[in-house]
Amino acid sequence: MAYQKATLSPTERPDLTTMVNTEEGWLDRRIFTDESIYTLELERIFGRCWNFLAHESQIAKPGDFVTTMIGHDQVIVARDEQGAVNAFLNSCSHRGNRVCMAVTGNTQNFVCNYHGWAYGLDGRLKGMPAAGVYQEATSRYDKTKLGLKPLAQVATYKGLVFGCFDPDAPSLDDFLGDFRWYLDIVLDNDEGGTEFLDGSIKSQIACNWKIPAENFVGDSYHAIWSHASAAKTLFGKPVRPRGLDKTFHASVNGHGWGVGLDGVGNAQATGSKVIVDYWRSREEEIVARLGKLRSKMVAASSSANVFPNFGFLPGHSVFRVWLPTGPDTMELRTWTLVNRNMPDEVKDAYRRASAFTFSPGGVFEMDDTGNWESATRAHKGLITSQQKLHYGLGLYQDVKTHPDLPGRVTPNMFNDANQLSFYQRWADLMSAERWSDVPQR
Amino acid sequence: MSHSDKPPLTLERDVPVRPAGPPDPALHFAVQQFLFFEARLLDGGFYIEWLDLLTEDVHYFMPQIQNRLTRDATHQYSRSAIAYFDDDLRSLSLRAKKLNDPFAWTEMPPTRQSRLVSNIEVEPADSPEKVKVHSTFVHHRGVGEDDEYYMSGRREDVLRRDGYSFRLARRLVLIDQHVLLANNLNVFF
Repeated sequence: MAYQKATLSPTERPDLTTMVNTEEGWLDRRIFTDESIYTLELERIFGRCWNFLAHESQIAKPGDFVTTMIGHDQVIVARDEQGAVNAFLNSCSHRGNRVCMAVTGNTQNFVCNYHGWAYGLDGRLKGMPAAGVYQEATSRYDKTKLGLKPLAQVATYKGLVFGCFDPDAPSLDDFLGDFRWYLDIVLDNDEGGTEFLDGSIKSQIACNWKIPAENFVGDSYHAIWSHASAAKTLFGKPVRPRGLDKTFHASVNGHGWGVGLDGVGNAQATGSKVIVDYWRSREEEIVARLGKLRSKMVAASSSANVFPNFGFLPGHSVFRVWLPTGPDTMELRTWTLVNRNMPDEVKDAYRRASAFTFSPGGVFEMDDTGNWESATRAHKGLITSQQKLHYGLGLYQDVKTHPDLPGRVTPNMFNDANQLSFYQRWADLMSAERWSDVPQR
Repeated sequence: MSHSDKPPLTLERDVPVRPAGPPDPALHFAVQQFLFFEARLLDGGFYIEWLDLLTEDVHYFMPQIQNRLTRDATHQYSRSAIAYFDDDLRSLSLRAKKLNDPFAWTEMPPTRQSRLVSNIEVEPADSPEKVKVHSTFVHHRGVGEDDEYYMSGRREDVLRRDGYSFRLARRLVLIDQHVLLANNLNVFF
């Protein structure tokens, strides 16, 4: 029997552009399991894209910090005494130990537990125990060259801090492009801006990181079946697709938004009247701020993902990263975003709603993660891995775009269009030697 | 549904205080039997029946755990942070109903679970109708073919007397994991 080898060595990596077929609507499953492809992702996706790092509210004061990961690189994000946000590697220049073991806090220095090398909030080496020994007995000792390696670029968009290892990457504004029009719906629907509620929840999921990313980028279709039990519990009946002709898929360079225009669909799925009433009471104000069209998207049935791994749900207001820890493992970190000006009662309702809906114990999330793990496991079969996956939903429909939605727009949120755009961007980046070779989509 | 006005139980790392008087063996035994019966209901997945053990104003709270600097005055467990569970009877009932639904994919095949409840200490609460109970647990889940999740933690309960037994009025669950080493929490502790 003729079959392809299941595991590809780096030297026989296939043409990655052939693993994603947007014309015919299929994917090669090995993109979810293959070690050599995963290693290349760390370099070409996480090593050169803009990665979500923090919300500015988490590091509001000088000395505030959070720790996170980009690919497998440990990263510290800190606000220094001058108010600047810095991001640098969390690994001592001396023996490599992490210099910060906490997930968040406030500090003047990051001091390594191993030998006591101390770094400032900008990552510069400030000193170490018995510093005189170094100065006197070490040739070519230069403290200024022993700081923690900074990220090449750090920038914010309306409260969200992103970082990038690649100095040649486009600016964050260019990277987000027209997707900023969509991001403003959740980040700028109130003059006071946004903040993260305190805390984040981390959980391990034995799946490839792209599976949740594509779920959030546009897989509205799964909700009717995956989340039937939660919908029946909350609404007394399963969710039936209604008014799909008034829904869309929109994508910009792999970022995607499954567009519902029902105003408060996701807010209703929090089970909290306080939350629904909040959005309804602000309708006029939001129309004035964002226009009629975007006011109908503010807490609507929808989901979104910023390429590569930053997903969120408008209305539910859960924001999360899919941090890869291996081809078949990842860590989910989730936060809850609120408007700064929200009444405390609404913020607290969101705090409780995110535990109830999209946290490891959440009535929606728990049915997703098991499916993602199960698919990842099945992809590993030798013969299974050679069976292409169908991504053709909506592929040959007449394309009637919405005149006022930016990006690549197709009708109907039951659609594989955003997922294919996500994987097209993935294939573009994976095959390109440099950013200038990456096409705009 | 808001509990924000009443902090449930201590989240601070208070030094435990030795009891002022002798233990009451009958009370201790009754509490222990209540917790063991509750454990058996939960192990069997009888969540709807478990709801009968709860008071109308129950508060079930399981905070997340944040790794903090040792000198940080902010405790690892926070009342105001997003949590795993911060539930009243309504939301617990919805969760129980969801887990019982034939379309609940986490329960297909059904989750197998068993727990050891130990280190039970009973102390007076702020009224004679109530007792405060400390306990620890080790919980095991077997999911699907070969997925296994062990979790251990501490609980601080307030039980309200109900005839010769009790109902659960408050529960604080503190687990030992910072990153949850499981893809979900489809169980109650």
